[in-house]
Amino acid sequence: MRRVWAVVRREFVERVRKKSFWVMALLGPLFFAAVFLMPLLMSRGGGVKRLALVDRTTTTLGAVVAARLDSTQRFFVVRRLSGGASVEDSLAREVGLKSIDGFLVLSDSLTQTGVAQYRASNVSSLDDIGLLRETLGRLAERARLERAGVDPTMVARAQIRVSLDTKKITGGRTTEESAGQSFSLAYFMMLILYISLLLYGVQVMGSVIEEKTSRVIEVLVSSLKPFQLLLGKLLGVGAVSLVQFAIWGMSGRLLLGQRAALVSRMGGVDPEVGQVFQVPHVSGATALVFIAFFLGGFFLYSAMFAAVAATCSTEQEARQSQVPVTVLIMIAFFGSFATLANPESRLAVTLSLVPFTSPIATPARWAAGNLSALDVIASLALLLAGTLVVTWIAARIYRVGILMTGKRPNARELLRWIRTA
Amino acid sequence: MTAPILVLDRVTKRFAGHTAVDGLSLSVRAGVIFGLLGPNGAGKTTSIRVIMDIFQPDEGSVQLFGERAGRDHSARIGYLPEERGLYPRMRVLDVLVFLAEVKGVPRRAARLRALEWLDRLGLGDWRLRRVNELSKGMQQKVQFISTMLHDPDLVILDEPFSGLDPVNAQVMKDTVLELRRRGKTILFSTHIMEQAEKLCDELCIIARGKKLVDGALSDIKRTRGGHHLVIGFDGSAGGAQQVFADKGLVKRVDDYGQYAELELAAGADAQQILQRLVASGARLSRFELMEPSLNKIFIDLVGPEAARAEARPEGQAVHA
Repeated sequence: MRRVWAVVRREFVERVRKKSFWVMALLGPLFFAAVFLMPLLMSRGGGVKRLALVDRTTTTLGAVVAARLDSTQRFFVVRRLSGGASVEDSLAREVGLKSIDGFLVLSDSLTQTGVAQYRASNVSSLDDIGLLRETLGRLAERARLERAGVDPTMVARAQIRVSLDTKKITGGRTTEESAGQSFSLAYFMMLILYISLLLYGVQVMGSVIEEKTSRVIEVLVSSLKPFQLLLGKLLGVGAVSLVQFAIWGMSGRLLLGQRAALVSRMGGVDPEVGQVFQVPHVSGATALVFIAFFLGGFFLYSAMFAAVAATCSTEQEARQSQVPVTVLIMIAFFGSFATLANPESRLAVTLSLVPFTSPIATPARWAAGNLSALDVIASLALLLAGTLVVTWIAARIYRVGILMTGKRPNARELLRWIRTA
Repeated sequence: MTAPILVLDRVTKRFAGHTAVDGLSLSVRAGVIFGLLGPNGAGKTTSIRVIMDIFQPDEGSVQLFGERAGRDHSARIGYLPEERGLYPRMRVLDVLVFLAEVKGVPRRAARLRALEWLDRLGLGDWRLRRVNELSKGMQQKVQFISTMLHDPDLVILDEPFSGLDPVNAQVMKDTVLELRRRGKTILFSTHIMEQAEKLCDELCIIARGKKLVDGALSDIKRTRGGHHLVIGFDGSAGGAQQVFADKGLVKRVDDYGQYAELELAAGADAQQILQRLVASGARLSRFELMEPSLNKIFIDLVGPEAARAEARPEGQAVHA
């Protein structure tokens, strides 16, 4: 056991000593913070838009629109003018010269048929367009009601929207988790699992290839059983990943704790956007499920990566040969992503039972839906069984492959390795 | 005679398409320097890998220290593989400590011994450098140190001299001799006969996986190729003619009067000729037993085909 420990220690120390480990440790939280804050940043567009208003209405609607747009603080009506089609051409030139960002053309048809024109240099900011449409819509509605002799305030009172307060029930108790939080938690767990499984699987592969290409392997297999070596490697790299998670977890907590301050510093934020990506509440049970499935998936996939590496002689060869394994992880990720909206569907259940997809699918379902402890245990048991079988096969390929150089084995030779090793 | 430390009993190892080792039996006594000689592709490396339990023999068995071979013995064996390799990005000292640890040496002891050896081989200042910053010769020395750190009883060196400059080859040779003085057993493979001739107590020559001859170097020299005796007379040849005529002692003679070259008869003892010559009144200025060189024996045994193979660039004909 001391010998396995030596391998574990080497894998761990050599990796943690590398600069790339610390780059990942620091960049990870920044990356996730960026993913969190991106929707907020995107919603803010590019500051206040300067508009010209071509007012062809016969009522006071144009003035009301200008005042209301100014009050949004997202638009500023530079000037209000009337005139024919030639005005639009000259305004278009002004947009080209960037003296204004765009112009809005209003006529009586706004109240009659609900039509208005907006011309601007940038019409891809969905939030700007949405705000514009909503503002015009409310005002047109109000004008129509007034014309029909209805008191708009009465209508407004009748139209008070339902605000649906959603909270997830876990284990028969209402949690403080909203629908948005469940979604973002599931999404981030999937993302982290996907990236980590790939990242650390590839590290195991690189470690096997390094020992093969540098020929250290021959001294090693004369000292250790290949399985001891493989075990030490997986435990060592696994320990590195846990340390990485601990760093990410702590810095993530720190960052999220400062999130409110960060957001407010960036100025006002549309509350609806904020709701979609809310700070998820990570319970102890969730963390446990995450770690358990990560470790299961890590051993499963890393053993496969190790076996692939053992059949290759160079790093380039390994990069090509790893594709089937990588595709499996991608299936797990995208399959889970597709079923996130409907965690009780048959596909979602299947994905969380198959060992190759469950490392990502089950934690996602756990976070998004409401898996019972029994579901999780069943999934974990299957994953464990799958991992044992795969590791057993991988270890046999590994012990033959690590001493082979030259041509890669074909499927039949691989089978012979597994049988005879 | 001490008990053998390593015994191979009719070991056969086949790879797809060819037999690398074919019914090889040999026995290595404790405390000797044993040479495993053969041309490239003879099966030396495969035999060593079977001994190291890296390969399972298809037939036959290996005994180490009087027991069935297995990795349990690896702590008592130091192994320098033919294809050297260290972790290129690790620090020298860390690599050495790690390689000793996987042999079961406690970390602290491994560190102390590694430092001691690094100093002894003049690499003390390099202990914190990365392996890939070292020259090839230095890396070889580091690797050699790694085979010694667990103080093995049996040291197996596959082509230990290949790639070493004369100075480092000398260091290697001295270390091997020093190991034997401390009672260790050394098995090394080589295809360079001059090296083997100077170092080996016992040897085994193989070709195409088969053993051609084995035993003590002196025995092999005595039995292989005729013994040649060169005799110089100091004035009086005495009754030398009668002695030379004895077919039981001398097979062939080339007599120049003051100087003669003899080929001894099978089983003849040169000492007997010396006694008879002195008794016959001959005065000798020279009496020298000329043994054939190991190189000549090797080439005679292995044949011209193997001699050609030897001229090939190193490592090309080596099988995995």
